[in-house]
Amino acid sequence: MTQKLNSLIGIFTGGDSASARSRRLKALSYLVLGIIAVFYLWPLFMLITTSLKPLTEYLKDPAGLPTAPSLANFAEAWELANFPQYLFNSAFYTATATAIFIVSSLFVAFPIARDYFKGSNIILTLYVIALFLPPALIPQFQLILNLGLYNTRIGYILLFLINPIGMIIMVNYIKSIPRELDEAAAVDGAGYLRYVLTIIFPLIRPAVATVTVLHAIGIWNEVILPTIYLTNADLYPITRGMIVFQGVYGNNWPAIAAAVLMLMLPILVLFMFLQRYIISGLTAGAVKG
Amino acid sequence: MKIMRDSYLFGSGGRWQRLTPLFLLLPGVLLYFLIALGPSIATSYFSFTDATGLRGAPVNWVGLDNYKEFLFQGLASRDNIAATLRTLRFSALVTVIQFTLGLIIALLLNQKLRGRTFFRTLFFIPVILGVVIQGLMWRLFLLPRGGPMATMFGWFGLQSEFLGGQPNEAFMWVIVVQIWANVGITMVIFLSGMQTISEELYEAARIDGASNWQLFRNVTWPQLTPAINTNFLLNIVGSLQAWQLFYTLIGYKPGTQVLGYLVFAEGFGQTGSPAFRQGFAAAASIVLFFIVLIIGAAANKVVSWNEQRYM
Repeated sequence: MTQKLNSLIGIFTGGDSASARSRRLKALSYLVLGIIAVFYLWPLFMLITTSLKPLTEYLKDPAGLPTAPSLANFAEAWELANFPQYLFNSAFYTATATAIFIVSSLFVAFPIARDYFKGSNIILTLYVIALFLPPALIPQFQLILNLGLYNTRIGYILLFLINPIGMIIMVNYIKSIPRELDEAAAVDGAGYLRYVLTIIFPLIRPAVATVTVLHAIGIWNEVILPTIYLTNADLYPITRGMIVFQGVYGNNWPAIAAAVLMLMLPILVLFMFLQRYIISGLTAGAVKG
Repeated sequence: MKIMRDSYLFGSGGRWQRLTPLFLLLPGVLLYFLIALGPSIATSYFSFTDATGLRGAPVNWVGLDNYKEFLFQGLASRDNIAATLRTLRFSALVTVIQFTLGLIIALLLNQKLRGRTFFRTLFFIPVILGVVIQGLMWRLFLLPRGGPMATMFGWFGLQSEFLGGQPNEAFMWVIVVQIWANVGITMVIFLSGMQTISEELYEAARIDGASNWQLFRNVTWPQLTPAINTNFLLNIVGSLQAWQLFYTLIGYKPGTQVLGYLVFAEGFGQTGSPAFRQGFAAAASIVLFFIVLIIGAAANKVVSWNEQRYM
């Protein structure tokens, strides 16, 4: 078996001089990577070319390059899809829920990480357990419904105020900050609230950044919860708006493609600047599946 | 009773001042119990009721009726059982392919290649785009008439209706998109595992005349155990619970649903009938929960066996 594989690799790698071998291996690597990359670049390319064509031209020749590229579809989608309103809603939900989540969980994570009160370990365990429990979908709905918060902004934001993985990341990071700092601050007479906000918070910035982008991307991309909780179109986030738009203008792919690109842009820009935090957050956060 | 430990030195003044951390902790923890932990546990209660989505409607205890309907009611249960088996098939295929592909990409990108950052970023980007963009992008790419994939199929004399085709065909394309969208995470986890392997191990093996395959088999693979285990578990548990791409790619189409989608569709009137069958949906999500639990535990056994072998 091993020998067979060796000879198989030998076909590609030659087996003459070491440098020729490694050159062939590199060529093979580029070939495989290139083939995979096609399936990542082509859908994006298709999205862009489609968005630049008038509908009539698209219907005649869906795959061809646009003969007279124009941005008219972007303007059309912006109007038809009610983009300004939906974008505002998405930004509002994302910013509000993330801010509340970060601040409230900072004050949960800090005393737990320090074990400052009895039972702090039990609370941490309860956060870990939640990762393995059944989904909360149905009872959550009953709760929001019976609180009278169905189809309201407050009810929708309420759903995003927790994130067990984010909490665990913060607890672990705070543990790496020396305890002596607390003692020094306490001896100097610093208050608890001020200490956590002005000393600890800046010190755990990398963890906060990771958790913030992780949480914010999750809210921005969410499409199931708005489908469940929001029936009033004025409250839709952009993802829900896109699905509705696609349902109404099903065959107007140029407009849909333009809308998709506009929805993608903020995420891509964010990614370019915060790549490091996003990757570390998602690999840690991938536990959620 | 003393709640604060002696190591807590802030606010040595009054008793109330000493309890400040608890007051500040309360909002976060209460929210967590109210929105996540409580509802999560209550799912099992609702699975024994006939709860609907109407505000103030009575919720009656129906015992095991929902579970009976899900599993043991002959024809009526057929679709549910089919969805359960389909979930397992989806998970098995996604896990195997995504794991292997992620490993291959990571191996290729772990070499000193020009453009490796570009490739890594390219393969990772879909992960952050979310199911709406992923779904719409691939619906466009897979348009049966004039779409790029149809064109590519044409080169080989093939034809397909893709997402609009027979249930099995549509199901297969959802698997493709699911892997396309998530292989980036698998790749990144493998890559970060590979970066911790010391170069000296490779040099020593090369001096002993090891071939590329032997290097992989005897150095990379055993040293990669933690990343392998993480990816294995993540892929299994993640794919058992994944269903949102079905929603954005093909909608609730008979013969394609997986369990997660069934829960959502039954619970929130998306099956074609507008009824919110939340009791039944809760029962279905408990079934899914036990499947994840059992398979997750089994996978965990494999993982710890793998660790003993190599570490």
